[in-house]
Amino acid sequence: MNTKLFSPYVPRPVTLVEKTPLSDFVTRFTFEQDNGKPLAHKPGQFVNLSIYGIGEAPFSISSPPRRTNITFEIAVRRIGAVTGALHALEPGAKVGLRGPYGSSFPVMKFVGKDVLIVAGGLGYIPLRSLLFYQLRHRDEFGRIVLMVGTRDPKERIFVDEIADLAKSGEVEVMETVDMPDSTWKGNVGVITTLLPKAELDPGNTFVAMVGPPIMYRFVIAECRKKGIASEQIFVSLERKMKCGLGKCGHCQINELNTCIDGPVFCYTDIEAYQEAI
Amino acid sequence: MTTYTVYKEQLPGLFEKWSKQYALHVPARLREGFYDLVPWKKDLEIAWDYDVAYNSPKRFVMPPHEALITYDRRTCEAQPVFEAPKQILFGVHPYDVKALNQLDQLMEGGSPDQNYLRRREATVVMVFEPLTVSSSAFWASVGAASVAHGFDLYWTKIGPAAFTVEVGSAKGEELLGMNGPLLSSTAGDKEGARRAKARVLAKARKNALRYNWEETPRLLAKCWDSPLWRRYSQMCLACGSCNLVCPTCYCFDIREETDDKLETGVRSREWDGCMLEGFAKVAGNHNFRPKAQDRYRHRYFRKGKYIYDKIGELGCVGCGRCVRACTAGIANPLKVFNELWEETAHEY
Ligand SMILES: Cc1cc2nc3c(=O)[nH]c(=O)nc-3n(C[C@H](O)[C@H](O)[C@H](O)COP(=O)(O)OP(=O)(O)OC[C@H]3O[C@@H](n4cnc5c(N)ncnc54)[C@H](O)[C@@H]3O)c2cc1C
Ligand code: SF4
Ligand code: SF4
Ligand code: FES
Repeated sequence: MNTKLFSPYVPRPVTLVEKTPLSDFVTRFTFEQDNGKPLAHKPGQFVNLSIYGIGEAPFSISSPPRRTNITFEIAVRRIGAVTGALHALEPGAKVGLRGPYGSSFPVMKFVGKDVLIVAGGLGYIPLRSLLFYQLRHRDEFGRIVLMVGTRDPKERIFVDEIADLAKSGEVEVMETVDMPDSTWKGNVGVITTLLPKAELDPGNTFVAMVGPPIMYRFVIAECRKKGIASEQIFVSLERKMKCGLGKCGHCQINELNTCIDGPVFCYTDIEAYQEAI
Repeated sequence: MTTYTVYKEQLPGLFEKWSKQYALHVPARLREGFYDLVPWKKDLEIAWDYDVAYNSPKRFVMPPHEALITYDRRTCEAQPVFEAPKQILFGVHPYDVKALNQLDQLMEGGSPDQNYLRRREATVVMVFEPLTVSSSAFWASVGAASVAHGFDLYWTKIGPAAFTVEVGSAKGEELLGMNGPLLSSTAGDKEGARRAKARVLAKARKNALRYNWEETPRLLAKCWDSPLWRRYSQMCLACGSCNLVCPTCYCFDIREETDDKLETGVRSREWDGCMLEGFAKVAGNHNFRPKAQDRYRHRYFRKGKYIYDKIGELGCVGCGRCVRACTAGIANPLKVFNELWEETAHEY
């Protein structure tokens, strides 16, 4: 790269290779890097994706790190300008990409431990990158417990994948919906209601959670009730983002910049910040 | 450090020379009590006694609207855009240089912001020791009365027609010497500069924090739940004027515009403000700072604590611009910090 002309604001082209609807509003997109290199991300990191003429927005990387494969996945809810334009693309289309950016789940800390993964709503999207990384090295971890909470059955995403995980016996899956319909046979209630039902070894369990802003406080309280220490709890927080470089100020949580200090934080490091949880 | 003595009659010649190579900006009076840095032209009267420039110098290194990249929608390729006009900012006050130095640190740290750094590199800063102090300024009490670096030349008026000029960089010295040999300042001239500084400091100390500015982060740490935030912010118009005029506010939005054929376009950054209602609002209408109080408090925490925790200086240089710009009369770091100090007095 010509360093004289380097600017951290310049995206590089990537090509959409596959598009799979996951629900009425959420679609999984598989991209391939035009530079022929793997994305080289860590679980929990995000990319800034550009649709030129519309804008740029941050998305968690949903696939696990891949050493040789040059594809990566994101899963996106259609909700505004960029996400709408993204949904209109067909395979073969190119978009701009910056990143991977931000902090990641400290998988090395999780080695030899039990891991509880708490996914509220779209939270499964980034956590999937952690989960599948762990599955690739399954024998290096203890139990993997996956809790999934969705508002209503229609909004569930990665349904078959999660069912397969449960069947495989490698992951203990617990699922709930807030508002059941006639087809739903499983647990009912917000995701917090799953925690008392799980038998966990608090001293040996690390927690990774991602969900809507309202979820964290309650799930953390339940974890603490079970005796899981703050140091063992990792959260990924979402804020408005523009630059992804710690400059534009949009993503601040008190003095932290979510884009570079986060999005993944150890709960001990943010407990004292009023704007965090 | 080298100091030269320069006389007023030498200035037109120097300005003439400089303006051939640089865009030269100098302080001028636009109307009564209203000053700004404006492009120099022959016979323009320099407002030596200006109290504060209405616009802060950040616009010269981080313009309100600045192209970052150009893109081609057909190929999905993007190229960086760098613009860095050679410019001289003549007559900037020390507190504003302090603000520029902060921007330097913040833009250089982490992922260096090349757009900013290139503009900054092409900018020559000539400080001028103020003669007058704005009634809303309080820079002397927030550690912003002087700067030790970040300038190329430091001018102090020591008489009706004489200045001492302290050299801050080789480039500054070269510019100063463009019209022939320079006269080293005598001990008496240097003493005159010291006295000039003391005179303005005495005026500037009239508005002051009631405590040592270094206490501010500790003070704020105790005041998250203070009733003051609501008391003031309930009058906030969320207009963002305080952000715009502030020399240390640098938050920005990123936007783009495509040509009519929808083929190529430009992505730019634009000044943004944490006081605007939608600053922390995400898609789906969730606002991480929904209340005026959240936004107002954030701005003061940023000035008094967050920036301090990053670089060891207050993020407010006490220029008083926000105080003047606020229609609601509530933007006022001096008043806010002093009142919080009083409020917590019983804790000491
Ligand atoms: C670290 C991180 C990871 C994310 N991961 C995912 C994901 O995996 N899947 C997914 O569907 N969504 C994810 N989001 C949210 C996603 O970024 C927003 O839905 C998206 O920015 C909306 O853009 P828009 O242009 O469609 O909406 P508009 O309302 O038109 O937004 C305009 C612009 O504002 C900014 N913005 C708006 N909402 C957000 C937001 N929630 N977060 C950050 N910036 C925002 C963006 O720059 C956006 O382009 C993530 C957000 C963050 C911060
Ligand atoms: S907060 Fe107000 S007084 Fe302080 S530097 Fe900014 S504009 Fe000047
Ligand atoms: S200038 Fe005053 S009214 Fe406007 S946003 Fe700032 S504090 Fe609020
Ligand atoms: S997104 Fe700009 S500072 Fe974090």
